[in-house]
Amino acid sequence: MEPAEVEFLAEKELVTIVPNFSLDRIHLIGGDLGPFNPGLPVEVPVWLAINLKQRQKCRLIPPEWMDVGKLEEIRDQERKEDTFTPMPSPYYMELTKLLLNYASDNIPRADEIRTLVKDTWDTRMAKLRLSADSFVRQQEAHAKLDNLTLMEINSTGTFLTQALDHMYKLRTNLQPGEGSHSQEF
Amino acid sequence: MSEAYFPVGPGLGMEENFLSLDDILMSQEKLPGRAESALPRLAVLMGQGASSAESVPEGSKLEIPLWLAKGLHDSKRRIISVELPKIYKEAWRTVFSADANVVDLHKMGPYYYGFGSQLLNFENPENPEIAQTILQTFVARFRRIMDSSQNAYNEDTSALVARLDELERALFQVGQKGLNDFQCWEKGQASQITASSLVQNYGKRKLTEVDG
Repeated sequence: MEPAEVEFLAEKELVTIVPNFSLDRIHLIGGDLGPFNPGLPVEVPVWLAINLKQRQKCRLIPPEWMDVGKLEEIRDQERKEDTFTPMPSPYYMELTKLLLNYASDNIPRADEIRTLVKDTWDTRMAKLRLSADSFVRQQEAHAKLDNLTLMEINSTGTFLTQALDHMYKLRTNLQPGEGSHSQEF
Repeated sequence: MSEAYFPVGPGLGMEENFLSLDDILMSQEKLPGRAESALPRLAVLMGQGASSAESVPEGSKLEIPLWLAKGLHDSKRRIISVELPKIYKEAWRTVFSADANVVDLHKMGPYYYGFGSQLLNFENPENPEIAQTILQTFVARFRRIMDSSQNAYNEDTSALVARLDELERALFQVGQKGLNDFQCWEKGQASQITASSLVQNYGKRKLTEVDG
């Protein structure tokens, strides 16, 4: 899976906007949206919010976890624990990138938020690599990791599965099995 | 999905993958061996004589490529016997178990893992130890490959891959690709439309006139 595909899945998450136009309820295949009244906050999926923002038809309200204090807490907890802490949103990385790229004027202290999220990401990736290494080193049969987001899994997934494939094949060499198949003339 | 074709990977077990280019190159590596019986008129092929009428005398030492050794190996009709190359022998095995990270696997035969797995086809009392050593070497070197491939963005990686064998290099490429894809997405290049590399090559060829 490419990062762009993960971002596509992330765009289904809901976010609050304040529109400056009015529109009746619209009926889409995925569900209903609206009605839109100027000045009244409404919840829409991220793909629509970004589109409206680019056309200057709305103002984005950052999600309540996208705040410097909260993110600092999350980052510190991530650094303290050995396991993965639950993240405020399963798509925190993608939402941060999208909202900070298109709506940074609506989000206070955007640069600090970007740095904090990046720090948390780096810590989590380091933990992931550490646990992958101990998994391979001890040749465990299976492992369980909670609270991982799709983007993290996607970044290290291909490498890890290929390495484990190789390890499996080398391990089956240890058991000669039914013997090699040679042809007798 | 964005690749032009999917190459067939190496077999890496006791059987090779027939269609894999890596396996074909790997089976060209040579093994030391001995001729158990005289091989009539094959001296030129084995690199031992000058004219096509000479035969290889019994007991002479030969360097045989793996594909030939596998074909000629038969415990009943003793045509040739093979020995282990020195990196799979006891002395090197202790080096690998001490610290596998310092060994230059590219110099030792760029197909250490594949070739070692193929050697298990020939009956040899040391086979279990060889298999164990290959596995332990892979496990020990895994950490370094992972760290170096996931952290080297936009750098010259030739120093990092110089000591890896071909299997490890393929893994390194996969890790680099994951990293590059992520960084490229984060910079926003993933949503820019660029011409595909296949199409870019079309422009380089001149259109030939077709006579009606």
